[in-house]
Amino acid sequence: MRYKILSVDDSKTVRIIIKKAFKNYDCEILEAANGVEGLALANKEPPDVILLDITMPVMDGVEMLTKLKSDPALKTIPVVMLTAEGGKENVLKIAKIGVRDYIVKPFKEDLLVQKVGRIIDLKPITDAPAKGKSIFDPAKILVVEDKPAILAQIQEGLKHTPWQIHGVATTGEAIDYCGTNAVDLILISLSLPDEAAFTLFRVLRTTLKTKYTPVFGLVVKTDGAAQQQAQQVGFTGVATKPLDLPELEAKMARAMNLDTSERYFRIAEDVFVMRLPEACTASVLAEVSTYLRAKVSEAVDSGIGKAVFDLHEVKRLDMPLIKLLLTAMQTCREVALQYTLVGSGAVVAECRGYEDTRGWQFHETMEDARQSFQKPGGSVSAPAAVAAAAPAA
Amino acid sequence: MPAINEIPDTVFEETITRAVKEVFSTMLSQPARFVPMPQRPEPDSLELVHPHVVGTVGFIGAINGLIYLYLDVEFAQRCSASLLGVSPAELAELGDEAVNDAIGELTNMTVGTFKNQLSDRGFPCRLTIPSILRGSRFRIEPISSATRRIYRFDIAGSALTADLLMQPGE
Repeated sequence: MRYKILSVDDSKTVRIIIKKAFKNYDCEILEAANGVEGLALANKEPPDVILLDITMPVMDGVEMLTKLKSDPALKTIPVVMLTAEGGKENVLKIAKIGVRDYIVKPFKEDLLVQKVGRIIDLKPITDAPAKGKSIFDPAKILVVEDKPAILAQIQEGLKHTPWQIHGVATTGEAIDYCGTNAVDLILISLSLPDEAAFTLFRVLRTTLKTKYTPVFGLVVKTDGAAQQQAQQVGFTGVATKPLDLPELEAKMARAMNLDTSERYFRIAEDVFVMRLPEACTASVLAEVSTYLRAKVSEAVDSGIGKAVFDLHEVKRLDMPLIKLLLTAMQTCREVALQYTLVGSGAVVAECRGYEDTRGWQFHETMEDARQSFQKPGGSVSAPAAVAAAAPAA
Repeated sequence: MPAINEIPDTVFEETITRAVKEVFSTMLSQPARFVPMPQRPEPDSLELVHPHVVGTVGFIGAINGLIYLYLDVEFAQRCSASLLGVSPAELAELGDEAVNDAIGELTNMTVGTFKNQLSDRGFPCRLTIPSILRGSRFRIEPISSATRRIYRFDIAGSALTADLLMQPGE
């Protein structure tokens, strides 16, 4: 999310200083030279914060602020006065119209960034190319739940993730926590007394810092009314109790737009590896399928010519998993990527029971699989070998 | 509230000194030093012979006034480049308009800081929009009812002159 900051100042110099101050942050600076231009721009492209001068030609800052506050569509936009007009009386008069903060020129760029950073969650731009967050990156999760057992269950169920799970029992504590922390996702119990979950949701959505933060409701499976209400008001999703933690984790990762592909795909030296976990649930298989084609293309594009499907953790084979593996093999063949499999004895034995998998060649370890690429017939690489991979297909 | 002519000179001297020091240290990281003069400079002493950029901002209210800040062109260009975060070559490409705007803003901040101190002393005023004079061989002459005070500052070896013209307001 890229925040928009509108600078309304007749001095081009000040507008340049503002741009300079925020150049290392992921935000866009919109510019207007007077109140009339400022109002027009705010209507056209509503900003998240307005930095407003007072003494300007055409329409001054006080008039623009007054008009802004009387416009239902614009009155909630936070305004920070940035002006040489100080003096206690002046500041008090303008504060009464409704401003979030007041900076008297001259000003330090750091102070400006600090004050705006209290209103919006300014994120520094890094030199590295923009990369989405990964499932292995830390994230802050807030759980608003008055039942300690549920909080403990969530903390235990997600302890293998790098996520920091912070629990609070009341909406007041939740608001305080969000005010001082950049929270990535919020879980709220819909059974808090007096419909507090919905009140809190409205507060979160009208607060800039949490305006776009994913919010899930926690609700008993049988409470259809609360689930419906959560959907109507705009909760990102609902997780039903008793909680299915792997399912909840997958939902949370999706809502935070995390790249989960690193769990299943990696490049080990010169080999592309697709590793499947012990529990290949429907959501795991769906995730793997989503990334499969792109990851194979990426590997080929970077010069990789060999692939290993690592099933050594998998305990049992079923049809959805077989279908995924057949798709993976087909994808590799399409791009002439040699492939082979690693699997436990149990899986190898199960493979013999299916028509489609009977001919699959497994290796016990990654090292064996790697060496097999050197031997003729040790891996599958050409259309002629399709029959070996799926004799009955 | 005392009349303007009852306010001792030292108050104006302190107020403008604080304003100049605050603006130049905050915006340009340059310390400003007040240069005391044995006697009050005569208006003729402000007759310019080298090219100058002069920023001016007025204030109206309990006291009406105008403050002029005089900078020679080279000093004005250095201040502008520093304020805008550009090199001298980049500033040259931006042209005189960028220098005018930057000096206008420095003057606005200085007069604002001066005026805000007056407001807090019980002389509420508001600022006017900045304007710029450029040239050499010119002299600004006040109308006879205005009180004039001239103060000089040294900013890293460059001279800055503040010319204050004031008269009672509303």
